[in-house]
Order: sequence, then structure tokens, then C-alpha cells
Amino acid sequence: MQIELHNVHKTYEGAQPLHVLKGVNLSIEKGEFVSIMGASGSGKSTLLNILGILDNYDEGEYFVDGQLIKNLSERSAARYRNKMLGFVFQSFNLISFKTAVENVELPLFYQGVGRKRRHDMAMEYLERLGLKEWAGHYPNEMSGGQKQRVAIARALITHPQIILADEPTGALDSKTSVEVMELLGQLNREEKVTIIVVTHESGVANCTNRIIHIKDGVIGNIEENSRHNASAFGTTTVMK
Amino acid sequence: MRLDIDTYKEIADSLLRNKRRSLLTGFGVFWGLFMLLFLIGGGAGLKDLLSKTFSGFATNSMIVVEGQTTKPYKGLKEGRWWDIDYRDVERLKMMVPELDVVCPMISTWGSSVVYGAQTSSAGIKGVEASYKEVETVNLKYGRYINEVDVAQERKVCVIGKRIYNELFPEGGDPCGKYIEVGAVQLRIVGVDFNSGMMSINGQASQSLVMPITLAAKLYHRGSKVDLLCLTGKKGVKMSSLEPRLRSVMGRQHLFDPTDKPAMMVLNTEQIFSIVDNLFRGLNFLIWLVGLGTLLAGAIGVSNIMMVTVKERTVEIGIRRAIGALPQEILMQIILESVSLTIIAGSFGIVFATFMLRALELIAKSTFQIGFWTAVAAMLLLAVLGVVAGLAPALRAMHVKPVDAMRDE
Repeated sequence: MQIELHNVHKTYEGAQPLHVLKGVNLSIEKGEFVSIMGASGSGKSTLLNILGILDNYDEGEYFVDGQLIKNLSERSAARYRNKMLGFVFQSFNLISFKTAVENVELPLFYQGVGRKRRHDMAMEYLERLGLKEWAGHYPNEMSGGQKQRVAIARALITHPQIILADEPTGALDSKTSVEVMELLGQLNREEKVTIIVVTHESGVANCTNRIIHIKDGVIGNIEENSRHNASAFGTTTVMK
Repeated sequence: MRLDIDTYKEIADSLLRNKRRSLLTGFGVFWGLFMLLFLIGGGAGLKDLLSKTFSGFATNSMIVVEGQTTKPYKGLKEGRWWDIDYRDVERLKMMVPELDVVCPMISTWGSSVVYGAQTSSAGIKGVEASYKEVETVNLKYGRYINEVDVAQERKVCVIGKRIYNELFPEGGDPCGKYIEVGAVQLRIVGVDFNSGMMSINGQASQSLVMPITLAAKLYHRGSKVDLLCLTGKKGVKMSSLEPRLRSVMGRQHLFDPTDKPAMMVLNTEQIFSIVDNLFRGLNFLIWLVGLGTLLAGAIGVSNIMMVTVKERTVEIGIRRAIGALPQEILMQIILESVSLTIIAGSFGIVFATFMLRALELIAKSTFQIGFWTAVAAMLLLAVLGVVAGLAPALRAMHVKPVDAMRDE
């Protein structure tokens, strides 16, 4: 088991404490392509933040590769994020004043990889994602799909074991959404990377092999979807 | 944090991203440092100019000149004149042992001095050998008047720089040559190049100094002298001697010791202390204004960095999400702040030295700041940069990776 959560609770403190996760139990195998699906406010983003070690949880246990991830120091959390995890965000979150290739290089910069090697690796990944000619362009010169592919290249460059995608198609039209999801599926098959996609769109979820439904802070039913026919909206399109 | 080319590139990127803002922020530091260094240099140059004026004069000296009485004393009416006498020299030395030198002076104005075809005009000063303790002598050639000259009334003289230049335009050592002063021939024994602006009875450069005994004979003064120059022994405060001088002189020459106009006393110590206080005040102002301006610049940097950090919350969050350590973020912001202050400040140093040099070309004085002052300014800049960057950097350090996603 690569990812295991036992009875994870999370409450956002504030004037009105908000109990978001109410005992989440979840396990994901190495090399899986799963989606976490739920309506807004269901706690899916909070769950993703905890999976991505971007946020702490209050109660329960979270294991990655058998390693307990709890109350980590900023330093070791950063190391885990850098070495094991790759992130793909809804709004791409590319740094606007850096070119595509510089954005892809950035995780390696924080790993201390040399300048030349970093650049070569970034170019290699951009080439694999068909963006070689766009390497010198700034994010605002690219389309949404291109930006998301740059973001995916950035997530892949550290050879993470897990890629966490938070609404990766949220800002894309349906055609590019299909392309991005196919790309993620292809990466899952070829690189054996565990991919966890958080979404509220059933069509997006349908592209994954397992759909974990989350509702009101607890895990609901889990659908096996290896034949990609879960969506009522057809198997050939991503419903926007 | 690695300090390689990429780190610098990151810094340059973020500073150049908002060029106008960086420029305006940097200008505050630039101007602050320029003001500080320019004022320091200017103040030092001004002091230098003034001390050149005062140079060549004992700082612990006093001049006593006779005056007209304004109070009746011992049956004598007011409005009486009296004369300082040559015997007052010995009298003062005996009665006021704190005095080091008591030198009488006889002087006349505008005597013409002739050597061959050349003429010049000079102020004649008849003094004793000890006069060189009062007004510093900067001998180019020969020697000064000595005690034997005075005792034997030798017909010798020491001439000032301007007289020398006018009488001997071709230069060379004039010692041993005879010049005509009125009806007598005097042998030159020395040339005084002292160029101080402060002196008694005319500038040293335009003076002809001869033994007082000779001057008394030549100008028929008898035992009367014009004034007395006094210097105190080390550590003696001249102003504290004044009442005793008045009572000694008053008893001898019959004037009321409390009658100030009867005996004029000029105390150089007072003049020097006024100048000193002036410069102490000026220096305080210079540092206040200079450091204040610089501080305002640094606060400006801090403020802008604060705004920048706020604006860059998402960017910092992304960096954190892809593996940047908090201290790497901290270092980045501090380095940005330090770079901005150091670059802007360096221009300030360059501009200040440039302006001070320009000032030096106009006014003949040393305005330029020293090398170590510039180094200290650089260090100050680095410290200011760190301090200015600290608060924004701490704030940036506390940006969580989640913040990158929240600001969607």
C-alpha cells in the first residue's frame, strides 16, 4: 500500500470551527490512477492538501510508503514534497515572469541540481510533452492546455512517485480537458506513477481507473472503473 | 541556500520585474547615502578650510592691547590713555607664572622694502625671539630672529612669502642679502612661508620681522610697545588668567582692573572654542540629516518589500509547494533587499565622490571622503539591507504552500 489514511480528521479553526474531514479512511496502491470526486465543500481539496503534505491534519494517521506523515517540520515536509510528490493545479500556478523551461527547472533548482543538467532535463520533458518550441515563451503567451502541460512537466521532472492533480481541467475547455486527462492516463501507464485527481466533474473522474466519492467529509462509495463507463454522460467525452 | 549564479538570477529577475518600482525604491537609498557622504565630505572640507585659516597660530594664546580708561581710578579721570611698557614683559612673567611666553611687539604699516630694482610693501613687526611660539613659523630659508639679534640690536630681518616673491622673482636663497627698509639696510636671515590667515598686525606673508630692540630705535618708540602676545603653559586656561592680568597691569598703569575697555584682551582660545563648538554642532546635524535620510530610504525599501511579498504570495506558495525550504524563501527576500540597497547605495557612493571631487576643483580644500569611509558606508548598506529585508522576509517565510491555492 503506497498511501494509507486512517481515520483522518481536520478542523479549520476560526470564529466558527469547521470540521471538514470527519474520519477519512483511504488506501491507494502504487501505480494507481484514481480520482477523488465530490461537490464543492465536500472536503476533497482539504484531503488533497493533506495528501500533498501541504497542510496538517488533527487526528488519525497518514502513511506514505509505510512512513508516518504527521507534524513534520517544514524542512522535512519540503523534502517530501520535492522528492516524492508532483503537483498539478487548476490555475496552473506557473510563475509568470519565468519562461516555460525555467518553470519546469524550478523544482530541480531547489534540489540543488546543476544549471546545465537542469536545463537539459527540463527541455527533455518539454519535448516529451510536445512543447519544445514553446520552451522560451512566458506563460501568458501560451494557451491553457499548453500551460497545463508545462505544469505537468514541472510535476514530472523530479520523478515523483505520486502526482496530485487538483481540478487539472478546471480552467480548460472540453477538448483540451480530454487531452490533459489522456496525457495523465498515458503517464500512469508508461511511467507507473500514482496519479490522484481531485475533481467535481464526473467526465474527468471517468477517465480514471477508480473513483473515490467524498461527501461531507467522509469517503462514500468507491467505484472500480477500469472500463471507463462510470459516467452517465458517455465514455467518449468529458462533460463540462 | 546556494549562492550560485541562479540565486543572483532569481534576485535580478524579481528586481527587474518591476523596474520602475525598484528604481524609485532604490532612489531613496541612493539619495540617503549620497546625502550622508556628501555632507560628511562637505563638513570635513569646510573644517579643513577654516583650520587652514587658523593654522600657524598658537591655540592657547592671548593678546593684550592698551585702551582708553572709562572709569576714574585713584584720583585719575576717566578717558585716559596709557602705554604698555617693555618692562611689563618681565613683570607679567614674574607675577603670572602660568604664562609660558610673553612677547612684546612693535609694528608699523606699509613700509616700502627695496632690493635692487624690486620693491614691495611690508608690515613691520618688531618682536622677540619667542614670537615664533605665538605665530607658527614655516621657514623656507635661513633662521628666525634669535635672542642675540634682540640683545645686540642686529640689523637683520625675516621676510614673508609675498615680500620674498616680489623682491626675488627669480627665486633662490636670499639669506645674507641686504634690503632697504626706509633709511636702513637690513640683512635677510630667513624667509617665512607661513600662509595662515590668522595673525597679529597683518598676515605673515606680508610681514617683515626684525628684533624689537631694533624696531624701537628705528621708529623712536623708547620703551613703549604696541601689544603683548601671551601664551599659557600646557593645560592652563587662558581665560582664567585674565582677571590677574588686569590687576597686575592695572596696579602698574593706574587703571581700574574692572575697567574692561582700558585693556583689550583678545583670547584666541575663545575663538577656537567657538569654532570647535560650531563644528561639533555641524557634525551632529550632518549625521542627523544624513542618517535620517538613509534610514528613510531603508524604511522605503522595507515597505516596498512588504508589498512585494504580499503580491507574491502565490508565487512564494508555488515555490514552497515544489520544494523550497522556508529558509530559502527567507534568504531570497533578504538577498533581494540587500541587493537593492547595495546597488542603489553604490551609485550613491559614486555620485557623492564625484560631486565632492567637483567641489574640490572649485574650492581649494580636501572634501573627498576617505576609502575606509566608503567601505564603512558599504557595510552600513549591507546591514541596512538585511534589517530592511528582515520583516518582509519573515512574512514571506510564513507563507504556506496552501496559500498558493487559496488565492485562486
